[in-house]
Order: sequence, then C-alpha cells, then structure tokens
Amino acid sequence: MMSAALSPGMAAIVLFGGFFLFLLVRVPVAFALGLACLPLLVIEPRLSPMMLFNETFKAYNSFILLAVPFYLLTANLMNCGGVTDRLIRLSRAMVGNFPGALAQINVVLSVFFAGISGSSTADAASQSKVFIEAQVKEGYGLSFSIAITAVSAVLAVIIPPSILMIVWGGVISTSIGAMYLAGFLPGLLIAAAQMATVHVYAKIYNYPVYPRASLKEFFYAGWISLPALATAFIIVGGVLLGWFTPTESACIAVLYTILLSVFIYRELNLGNLYQAFVDTGRLSAIALFCVGTASAFGWLLAYYQIPRALLENVSTWGMGLTQAGFFIAFVFLVVGCFLDAIPAIIIFGTILQPLAHSVGMHPIHFAIIGIVSLAFGLVTPPYGLCLMIACSVAKVPVRFALKDTMIMLVPMLLMLAAIIVFPEIPLILPKLIAPELLK
Amino acid sequence: MKRFLDGYHRLLTWLMAASVAILIVPVTLQIVSRYTALIPSWIWTEELSRFLFIWMIMLGAMIAVREGTHFIVDFVPDLPPKPTAALQVVANLCILAFALVFVWWGIQFVRFGWSQTSELAELPMTFIFIAWPLAGATWALFLGESFLHNFRVLAGSDVR
Repeated sequence: MMSAALSPGMAAIVLFGGFFLFLLVRVPVAFALGLACLPLLVIEPRLSPMMLFNETFKAYNSFILLAVPFYLLTANLMNCGGVTDRLIRLSRAMVGNFPGALAQINVVLSVFFAGISGSSTADAASQSKVFIEAQVKEGYGLSFSIAITAVSAVLAVIIPPSILMIVWGGVISTSIGAMYLAGFLPGLLIAAAQMATVHVYAKIYNYPVYPRASLKEFFYAGWISLPALATAFIIVGGVLLGWFTPTESACIAVLYTILLSVFIYRELNLGNLYQAFVDTGRLSAIALFCVGTASAFGWLLAYYQIPRALLENVSTWGMGLTQAGFFIAFVFLVVGCFLDAIPAIIIFGTILQPLAHSVGMHPIHFAIIGIVSLAFGLVTPPYGLCLMIACSVAKVPVRFALKDTMIMLVPMLLMLAAIIVFPEIPLILPKLIAPELLK
Repeated sequence: MKRFLDGYHRLLTWLMAASVAILIVPVTLQIVSRYTALIPSWIWTEELSRFLFIWMIMLGAMIAVREGTHFIVDFVPDLPPKPTAALQVVANLCILAFALVFVWWGIQFVRFGWSQTSELAELPMTFIFIAWPLAGATWALFLGESFLHNFRVLAGSDVR
C-alpha cells in the first residue's frame, strides 16, 4: 500500500486526541470529527482538505441513506396524524396493568414503532416528547424516564425495517430480507429484557399501575390500530417480496401514513404537515451531517490503516465461533461509543468480515451481532445519539441519565450474549420462512 | 441586523422543509413508473432525489448552528453564565475555523464542479457543490451573532 507520512499510531493519536479535545470544549460532535481530520489533511502531502468535501459529498449522495428522512417523516406524521395515539392506547390495553405501567407502555410502543420506522433517532425524538414529561408527571424519576426512552428506542434498528440493516446489506452484500427476518426475535428478546428491568425498577420505587383493561377495550384498541399496524407488513413485506427497494418502502410508508392520517384518522392538517416536514428536516440533517464528517474521519482511519493495525494480531488468536462472536460484539460496542453506526459498519464491518468468515460464522448471524452491538452504541456516550436526543428533549446534560442507562444496558447485554452463543435465535425465522435467502 | 438574520433563518428553514416535501415526489414517481405504464421510467428520479437530499442536509446543518441544536457532548458540569459564555466563544472559534475551511476550499470545490456534469440529468455539479461554501458562509454569519451575544455576557451588560 501507499506509504503515509505518519505512522498509524501517530495518526490515531492526532485523530482521536483532536476529537476529544474539541468535544471537551463543547464543539458539536459533527464539527469535532471534521476538525480532527484537518491537521492530517494539511500535514500529509498526498491529501488535501478537498478530501473533506469529497467524502462528505459521497456520504450524502446516497440513495440508501435517503431512507433516513423518510423513516423520520413517517414517525413525525404518525405523531401528528393520530397514529401514535392509537398505538399508545393498544400498548396500554396490553401492559397497562403491569407495575411501572407507563414505562412498560413506552417499551411496547417502541416495539410497534420499530416495526414501522427503521430509525432509532426518530423513535427517540418522538417518544421523548411524549413519554418523558408524562412519566415525570406520574412520579417516575426523570433520569429513569430518559434512560428507558433512550434504550427502548434502540429497538427500532433491530426490529425490521432498519436503516442499519439497509446500510449493512449495501456494504457487506448480505440479504436485507434475511436480516429483516433475523432481527425480529432478537428485538423481541431485548424488549422483554427491558420490560423485566422496568418491572424491577417499578417494584423498588413503587411506580404507579393502571387498572387492567377489559377484553372489549383490548379488542377495540387493536381494531382501531389495525390500519397503523398494517404499515409494518407493507414495508417489511414489500421488501421481502422484492416489490420495493428499502428506500422506496420508506417512501411508501410516508404516503400510507399521510393517507391514514388524512382519510381514516382525520387528524392531519396543513399546519401539522408543514411542522412535520420542518422537524424531519431539522433532525435528519443534524444526524446525517454527523454521518458525513464521521465518514471523512473513518476514511482517514482507513487511510492510515488504523483499524487493521488494531486488529492485526487477532486472526492468529485461534478463536472459536463463540469467542469470535464475543470479540466482534466487543469491537462494535467500543466503536459504537465513538462513531456513528453507519460509518462504523463501513469501516469495521468490512474489516471484521474475514474474521467472521474464517471461524465459519453465518453472515446473517454476523450481521445481527454487529447491528445489535452498534444499536447499543446509540445510548453509550460520548457519541450516543438516542441518549443525546432524549436528554436534549428533557433539557438536562447527558451525564444526568448515565447511571440508569448503564444499569438498563446490563440485561440487554445478557441478551446480546445469548444471541452470540445461540446462533439459532436470529437464524430460526429466516430458516422457517425464507430459507432461500440464507444461502 | 437581527431582523435580517431572522428572515434569512426563516428562508433557510422554509427551503429545507420544501426539500423534504419535494423528496417524496421523485421516489414515488420511480415506484409508479416501474409498476404502471402511466408514465415513462425516468432514470433521473433517483439522481434528483439524491441531490435534493444533499441540499436538505446542508440547509439543516446551516440552521442548526443558529438554533444550537448540533449534538454536543457535555463532559464539564454546568458553569455560571460568564465561564459558559467564555467556553462558548472558544467552541464557536473552532466552528468558525471549520466554517472558513468550508468557504475557502469550498470555492475550489465549486470551481471543480463546473468541469463535471451529473451522470444522468447532466446538471453541472456546481449547483450541488455550492451548498458547501454557502454553509460555511452561513455558519460564519450566524456565529458572528453568537459572538456578539457572548461578548455582551462577558462584559456583564446583558445577562439573558
């Protein structure tokens, strides 16, 4: 390969050192990533700051990422068009009588939401607005409320549809349909772990309970939510059957939600619609702008072969399937603290793939381990988008909710371990429904 | 000056919302043209949607600097107004440096764009690349406003 003026170690110090230094003086993450690239771009004779433009342009010029604003728009339209209200009602009829009712509803709604939207940031943004204030009003701790909203939002990228799976499929050529099917069971298991955590919290702190819903209410809530729940089948089914590309399916979800809100639930008006467009643009732009500078940052990491230098000796460790699985999860968990999931897939997914292949790990198993680990990265600081969003909605610094978030991560990590040890958890559904996708 | 910035801010927000709304059109056309014979399958729908998408991101990144909504990681605890303002000035100087990089090299990027046309619709890429220096200039403008505010806080005349 080309020889660089700086050794990988030096370059790593400049990149990560610069990044942390800028973060420390409260430079926004997106700018800190871009600024950390600059010294190397100036020092290295073969590079120039023009590369910053090329890389950000390449990152944004992607039909796949276009799914992000569509998923966000779907979520925003669901909120202002009355879809979310019906899903909350259904969730309440299902789990309202459990201890910590409102927090349980928060988790169950995230599962429904995850089935319609593929963006955790969208889930975090919309549910933070709905739940954090409501939970605090009912006597739940603020830090607990933020933490449960943030950690349940990560389900959105594990349960299909999922932006991360779309990106993974694009970068590591794995069947997106198979990943969609494989994500269901791990997502439900993690949701169950979260509900168990809420149960324990509710018992300790004596959180309130709602009366049990009657069977009639349950069926009524299910009936009025049916058109909303159908969205999940349109999106996931459309992709599985090969009708639409994932981005197109996200666009279909937008159109369907607009139709639903205007003609069936009749709660959408022009003012709401404009507000949904503005909110979508705002949030997807700041999240995606980060992806651009993170891609430039990641490109430089790859240029100096820093990931390879870090992983150089690993293939000689002689790991078995399970050990390799834990190692892959560990790498993605650590990386997820610092990088956005999308550049992390681009950089580390491709590097770890030969390792997964050499130990005979199924590509879908590898994908699910990677995506679940990176999804957890959405709530681990310093770069945990969902936690940042939830905290910014609640107007508290990220530190404030850190302890409860870490506590809630423990049972989720146990589920991740189960997914690693038992490859059948992700693989069983694709095996049963679409075995041809697994080849 | 404030009124000018407010108006500019509103204009950018409106353009961003419009780009989100318009994005739906080419992607829908793409699906419709594949399944029906109503309209020919225009190959530039995909390209047009990507370009709108780029503008949406850059416009959103511009207004987020004025709204202060770019994600920040808080390592330091909350400080009284004056140290906060001082820290803000330091952070803003860093962002300003980045903004100037976007303007300076962005202009080269735009010049480079004149020699390139897009693959499908054959638009000069300048129409896309110009978003970068424009973002840099807009950030500088919005940061100027923030500097003024912070200096007033530091001078102790205006604690809002």
